[in-house]
Amino acid sequence: MNRMNSTSIDIARFGRRLGTRSEGASARREIVSAIDRLPDDGQLVLSLHGVDVLSGSFADEAIGKTCQLLTSGAHGDRTMVIASPSVDLTEDLSDKLAQRKLAILCRVDRAAPPWRVLGQLARPLVETLELLMDRESATTKELAEALGIAPNVCHNRIRHLVQLHLVREERMGVSAPNTQYRFHSIV
Amino acid sequence: MELTIESIEEVLSHLYGNGERDLDLRSVRFIDPFALLLLDLALRDARANRTPLHVEWPTLPAVRRWMTDMRFFADTRVVSPDLPLPEAGTALQPIVTIEDEDHVSRLVEAFDRRLSERFPLDDAPRRRFLRILLELCQNIPQHSNATGDVPDPHGIAAMQDYDDGILLAIADKGIGFRRSLALREDLGGLDDAAAVSSVVLDGISRFRDPGHGCELQRIFRLVRSWDGTVAIRSGRAFLYHGPLGGEIYDVAPFPGVQIALRIPRRVFGIGEPPSDERRVAAEGDSRFNE
Repeated sequence: MNRMNSTSIDIARFGRRLGTRSEGASARREIVSAIDRLPDDGQLVLSLHGVDVLSGSFADEAIGKTCQLLTSGAHGDRTMVIASPSVDLTEDLSDKLAQRKLAILCRVDRAAPPWRVLGQLARPLVETLELLMDRESATTKELAEALGIAPNVCHNRIRHLVQLHLVREERMGVSAPNTQYRFHSIV
Repeated sequence: MELTIESIEEVLSHLYGNGERDLDLRSVRFIDPFALLLLDLALRDARANRTPLHVEWPTLPAVRRWMTDMRFFADTRVVSPDLPLPEAGTALQPIVTIEDEDHVSRLVEAFDRRLSERFPLDDAPRRRFLRILLELCQNIPQHSNATGDVPDPHGIAAMQDYDDGILLAIADKGIGFRRSLALREDLGGLDDAAAVSSVVLDGISRFRDPGHGCELQRIFRLVRSWDGTVAIRSGRAFLYHGPLGGEIYDVAPFPGVQIALRIPRRVFGIGEPPSDERRVAAEGDSRFNE
């Protein structure tokens, strides 16, 4: 399931130095349109390669507001990630996402580990997310056991990650008393 | 006499506190970009209010040359004093007008080019500086006339390098922080000092959307982390934060928002100029304007 349909947008097509809120709003329209064209479980990769400067204002209009839309559920289970050539390019984007209490996964070239979270995500949630990324998929029970925490605590964490579109849930079928889900890494 | 971030208040107090229309700058030996932009806006403001200033310009050739190179006389449409000027100037980024949002990216590109021509800058700090510049420049078309009742907010920017750092100044004579925040019903009763504090220290903006605001707060924190100096003036309030600390001062009323950032050279990965250059500058007519 984590080999999902993916498409990419080069943010550099909007310019090398980005910029103003009005430029960001124009870019957002194209980004949202690309998300709409994805299949239900599709993923949009926003590539920052070729971008020299990404300001907070542009990032908030183009990416922050799109993230907000995704977490509102307006685009189903579709997800979005960032690919960046460097960490410093994403600094203002990360601040803006934190302002909105959002988070997004970012793959940084030649970095170890390659994936990091931009925005605001509490340490226990990062820990849970990293474990799921290592395992690729797991149930709440499996994650709770591996983390050494109570299942209901793990359930709350994973629900939060699903809401932020940082992990994907798969319904496994109904068995009393609760519906069973399996959770998948999106990267 | 020097006109700097720290001393330009004396001139503004003379004009806007005491209501004087005569300004004697003949003994001025140094002007920094922040003071230059405030002089520029004061001249325009006086002209717009039909109470023109009578200014005696600096007599020191190096200072007049720098003011000319910084396009001060061109921007203010003041006839430059007809006196001989030294041949070489050192202006880094002359005064530019920030007209609208579409103009901002080109303007930042010009600043980047000027900086890169003078210094081999490290990439990460250069990007941080350009992000600061992008945010500060776009604040002018976005906020300086948010009420729509200012005929000409006249946003301007300039930059100069010195032995100890690079000074970026951005200024307008628009509505200022207090009137901008007052567009939100819950922020209508603030005075200028509270408005400056709300915007710069608390990250509040006239928008309720959580993604707006915090830009000046972030810039303030970033420059402080670099041991730089931040000066932000709006209305009757002047926030000054240098390496030794900061405070918000009551000052003479002046329209709009004026910002100066003094960023140490080491932040950009550039050292101090060679000692020979520093000695020549120190022995010249002016400490820095030469």
